[in-house]
Amino acid sequence: MAAPMEVALVTDAAGLLSNCSVWELHSGSALPGYRGGNSGARGLALLGGEHLLGAQLGKGYISVWELQRKDQLQQKIICPGLVTCLTASPNGLYILAGIAESIYLWEVSSGNLLAILNRHYQDLTCLCFTDDSSHFLSGGKDCLVLVWNLYSTLQVEHSQIPEPRHVWSRHSLPITDLCCGFGGPLARAATSSLDQTVKLWEISSGELLLSVLFDVGIMAVTLDLSEYHMFCGGMDGSIFQVDLCAWPVQRDRAFHSERENGKIFKGHRNQVTCLSVSTDGSLLLSGSHDETVRLWDIQSKQCLRTVNHKGPVTNAFITLAPANMFNPDSKPSVPLPKFSKHLHGTESSEDQGAEGVTLRLGLHQQVVGESYLEKADRLYSQMCLTREKNLMGDQEQLKIQVTELEDEISTLRKINKNLFDFSARIITKSAK
Amino acid sequence: MTKKRKHQEDFQKVKLKVGKKKPRLENATDTNFKTKAIYLPEQLKEDGILPTNNRKLNIKDLLSQMHHYSAGVKQSALLGLKELLSQYPFIIDAHLSNILSEVAAVFTDKDSGVRVAAIRLLQFLAPKIRAEQIAPFFPLVSAHLSSAMTHISEGIQEDSLKVLDILLGEYPILLTNRCSMLLKNFVELISHQQLSKNLKSREKISWMLSVNPNRRVTSQQWRLNVLIRLKKFLQALVDGSSGSEDDEGIQEQKENSQFMRNSVCISWKEHASNQQHIQLYENGGSQPRIDSAFRLRSLVSVTDSMEKGLSSAENLKGFIEIIIPLLIECWTEASPAQLAAPILGNLLEPESQQLMQQVLSIIYLLWKLTKQHDETHKMEAWLRMNYLVDFKHHFMRHFPYSLQETIKHKKRDPYKSTKYYMTSSNSVDHLLLNLTLCDIMVSLASASTLQMDSDWLDMIRKFVTETLQDGCRLNCKQLNRLLGVTWRLMQIQRNKVATETLIKAVYILYQQRNLLFPVRMLLLKFFSRVYQKEELSSQKIRSRSKVLSRWLAGLPQQLALLGSRKPELSKQLIETIHSAASHSNKEFLQSLQATASRIYDPVDGTLVLLPAESQKRLVQLVYFLPCLPTDLLSSLSRCCIMGRMSSDLAATLIGILRMRSSFAGWKCQVQDSSVNDVDYFSFLFSTLTGFSKEELTSLQSIKGKPHISQTQLSPVHLYLTDLDQFLHHWAVTEVVCHSLSTIPSRSQCFDILQNGICKYLVGLAVIPDSTAGSVLCAMSKLLDQACILSENLHKFLASCCYSLLYFLLTLDKEDAEHARKRDMLWGSCISVLALVPRVFRLMLQSLQVSRACREELPVIGQLLRLLMQHGQLRSHMVTSELLVQQIVKDIMTLKSGEVQEQWLTDLHYCFNIYLATHPQGPGAISTEY
Repeated sequence: MAAPMEVALVTDAAGLLSNCSVWELHSGSALPGYRGGNSGARGLALLGGEHLLGAQLGKGYISVWELQRKDQLQQKIICPGLVTCLTASPNGLYILAGIAESIYLWEVSSGNLLAILNRHYQDLTCLCFTDDSSHFLSGGKDCLVLVWNLYSTLQVEHSQIPEPRHVWSRHSLPITDLCCGFGGPLARAATSSLDQTVKLWEISSGELLLSVLFDVGIMAVTLDLSEYHMFCGGMDGSIFQVDLCAWPVQRDRAFHSERENGKIFKGHRNQVTCLSVSTDGSLLLSGSHDETVRLWDIQSKQCLRTVNHKGPVTNAFITLAPANMFNPDSKPSVPLPKFSKHLHGTESSEDQGAEGVTLRLGLHQQVVGESYLEKADRLYSQMCLTREKNLMGDQEQLKIQVTELEDEISTLRKINKNLFDFSARIITKSAK
Repeated sequence: MTKKRKHQEDFQKVKLKVGKKKPRLENATDTNFKTKAIYLPEQLKEDGILPTNNRKLNIKDLLSQMHHYSAGVKQSALLGLKELLSQYPFIIDAHLSNILSEVAAVFTDKDSGVRVAAIRLLQFLAPKIRAEQIAPFFPLVSAHLSSAMTHISEGIQEDSLKVLDILLGEYPILLTNRCSMLLKNFVELISHQQLSKNLKSREKISWMLSVNPNRRVTSQQWRLNVLIRLKKFLQALVDGSSGSEDDEGIQEQKENSQFMRNSVCISWKEHASNQQHIQLYENGGSQPRIDSAFRLRSLVSVTDSMEKGLSSAENLKGFIEIIIPLLIECWTEASPAQLAAPILGNLLEPESQQLMQQVLSIIYLLWKLTKQHDETHKMEAWLRMNYLVDFKHHFMRHFPYSLQETIKHKKRDPYKSTKYYMTSSNSVDHLLLNLTLCDIMVSLASASTLQMDSDWLDMIRKFVTETLQDGCRLNCKQLNRLLGVTWRLMQIQRNKVATETLIKAVYILYQQRNLLFPVRMLLLKFFSRVYQKEELSSQKIRSRSKVLSRWLAGLPQQLALLGSRKPELSKQLIETIHSAASHSNKEFLQSLQATASRIYDPVDGTLVLLPAESQKRLVQLVYFLPCLPTDLLSSLSRCCIMGRMSSDLAATLIGILRMRSSFAGWKCQVQDSSVNDVDYFSFLFSTLTGFSKEELTSLQSIKGKPHISQTQLSPVHLYLTDLDQFLHHWAVTEVVCHSLSTIPSRSQCFDILQNGICKYLVGLAVIPDSTAGSVLCAMSKLLDQACILSENLHKFLASCCYSLLYFLLTLDKEDAEHARKRDMLWGSCISVLALVPRVFRLMLQSLQVSRACREELPVIGQLLRLLMQHGQLRSHMVTSELLVQQIVKDIMTLKSGEVQEQWLTDLHYCFNIYLATHPQGPGAISTEY
């Protein structure tokens, strides 16, 4: 296959046939789905191309499938409450789940619960990682969007509450969706809210770049990969396309009314809950409360395909198909550990001593004598020392060193000789 | 005979008689006129000659006279210049460089008269020259100013301050760019250098206050003059460098204003119609940054680009090191310590009080400048280390300063006293002094040094608390400073007891009844800031301040009481309420719930009284209400339909309620039943109806042509609504229809709607046209195969349809008001008729023409023709062909015997084409009429 295959993963609230149905994007041919339960809104995530996670609707656990074994649930991660949103970091190392007002952060390799972040005042609605996994965004019903630096949340001491990097409080009704663009910490992020606006922010500075006011509440937002367009799914079932890079040259076109229609995808009868754009930016996938998933051609705004479901669609996204999905014999490179329910630092410390492999910073301070920062400092100073030597150590330095060493050798020799003389004297004396 | 007579007439002899006046000759010259000379004070301007002043001197002459040795000539030249320039302002532009260089040169003239004239000229010129114009010459001007300030003669020094005043007033930025030079001058004006005795610290030069007995004024007065200028100068410096940022007191945070500046706000409608475009730039920004302050070469200081004035931390430190000892010296001279014993209350003389005020303001401004640097903490530590002891010793010893009784001073010089004590009855003016001192001292303290500073911090806290408690007479500016100090104190001391007393003091002030509006606003902002801070810090351990939560709980009540009196205040209140509600503060939500019915009252609630922007926030607040009881929903529905909210806002409200209802969530999810399903439906239904039950019953009694449209074939009479009301109702109807159509179980929803209609609308004789239209519209949107209509409803719909159609057809074409209703009503009627054949049949059955009076016949004929032209309805007609035939026949018989009119032939034609021959071919002919 020349081009990488793209698949659509769709879940609905009924989950009759399968929890998560999979179909090939371009041909529409259905692939076997993943069975068991039904997943809640914004509760489906691919983990490292090897596992599929689904937060159960109305139940307090996350189901985990191995991508190649579709009919069998591999594990259930029991959570302390209803999971309202779930995401996995793109590098496959961390899992984030929003449970009531708190964000739970698990490490995939060990299964430890690393942090519980309590900065939202009401239930979380959505979570999203930047594409380099360095930051994540969280949006809640308290109208706030928080931007967190993943590593600084991990490094904070237990006594302190981790601080988000930015607090965006310019929405006036609950946040409904987040979308993070391309570029790691330099990316732009789009947030949609029930207050009928979609706002575009810059993650690095935390500044608001753009705010678009609509006539209806917006339930879903997404950006295409090149960030030329922003797609906003409204409560009334229409999908709005906002052009982010339009030149005002086009102003004097005659067909104003036609152009207006040309920016709305019409077809859904109820609120649009999820949106996703294919990697080439030509196809748009939308799921709605009217129990259908539609695939649109972005250029012509035509609906290419409509897939009916039995319940409101909770998740629908397009992803490049991981290799494991089609190879039934493949196995995940690392088996998933058991995910713990309790915060990691509060466990007994002997336990931690036993597993010396974890590479977490900061939290280990009690066990290891010195912190990694101190170690790093020491290492750095050593490096600086040698470097300084190198810098100064021209020929002269070398000569000085050589002479010093020669001196030392000569003194050693002298001592050796003395020792030899002394012992020889004693031996010869005793012989006499 | 005739010839002779003629001759006589021509040459009549004038007979002169003695004693009579000699008659005037006809050709005599009248000499009694007077002449006047015409002076031309102005010359024609076109020729090469330059314009001149009264003394016929042009600009060149005047400027060259400035070099004259005689002071009188110079002075008159300056006066002449002023006169000339006021007459011909265009000369200023042409000769600016010459004028400025000459005028600036005489700042240092020995003769005081010349200097006075020069200052007057400058005063006249400064407002006429823009800052950009003078910028290239400013190095010259400021160099002359500097040399005047450092001049050896006292008179020139004194006058130089006046020049400084003028320049500072007009060109603050240009002047502050040269601050390094000027600051040094200031120092030299009041002091002289003294090389310290010991040679070790040669570089460290100490400055001493100088006393010059030759001056006209006392040295204290002189110092005051200089310090006032220095303060002004520093103020300009602070203003210039911090841009628009306000006093750090209670003002909005800087970030917010920045957000506002950079972000682009766009509404979708305009974007979609290509009126607004979005252009995002590669590295993030939504606007290219063009207002860069960078210049390759500074315009002002070409030579001394190395030194950056006070913008570098080192320079600032150096200046502080020089000036503060001097200031302290000034203070000690003025301070009450000179009086033999510290008098109770530390009364102050007005002059010395002035001086002290200047000293403190200068220090305060310097502190502000230090805060603009990056390493604020380092700087603060440095200040604390160097000056805390001095300050404590000198400033804090007699801390709460108060003013001496001013009555005797008033007598002595009434002018001065009125100037200074206008605002205050001897108790408030000293407040500024004390507050400035508090500001300075408090910024020296920090949370880590709390133990060491507790003694004087306690004094300050006591003072602040007392001032706040009887602070009802404070004006806005003072309060701002006071709250700034309070805020800072609360930051330093985080424990609950200390902050609680402070908050309590502010709260006591807040509870005063008759506060001025800006004062109230300030207090409100202060509280909301404290609240936000608390929200952040005590996230887990909710150790809330009791006073604060009491304040918070009182907010909804205040909002409800405020009504529409102060929209800005209401706006601020709503902001705070909104943030507290979105943070789900439990106690607050309870109080909000309790006052919700008053806020959302449809008659005189806050919602309907406030302007649109605040209305929007209030509508959004509905989302956060913990529960929405029936009566609240009914008043919300009234708000929606009464038209005091825009239809967009009503749509938003309906959308929010939909989100709160159980139909928006996922099926299996456990919903907190905040909105009862029954209530939700009744809300939707009453909004759809658009009129309350009382209004409908009162409509029943209306009769007469202008308001009512009636027909004899239908029992339903239509009440004609205003166009505005109609359009509003129609917009709301569409939203409601959409809400209804998204409810999953369609047939049940339809049954509920049907019951509602049967119960409340069927049986009414008069129905508003918008209501009838809305009902039909909702029917057409909701109907599908599964729905079963009751017989009553069928009849009702049929008569509604006929009434509406009749109304539309009898509508006057010129009636602009009702004409706009036509398309909407027609569309909904036709779609219902097409969807439910039975309604159509019932309507046809009701057209019993025999009973109709003759006037209605043409209308019926026209109606039938139009219905026949509609493709889908035609097929329904075909099925009930006999009925139609009967009607047509009836019409014919009633009309027979008279002349065939146009409508009758049309009807005949259509009937023959469409029905009689069972045509299949022609599909949808447009339904235009």
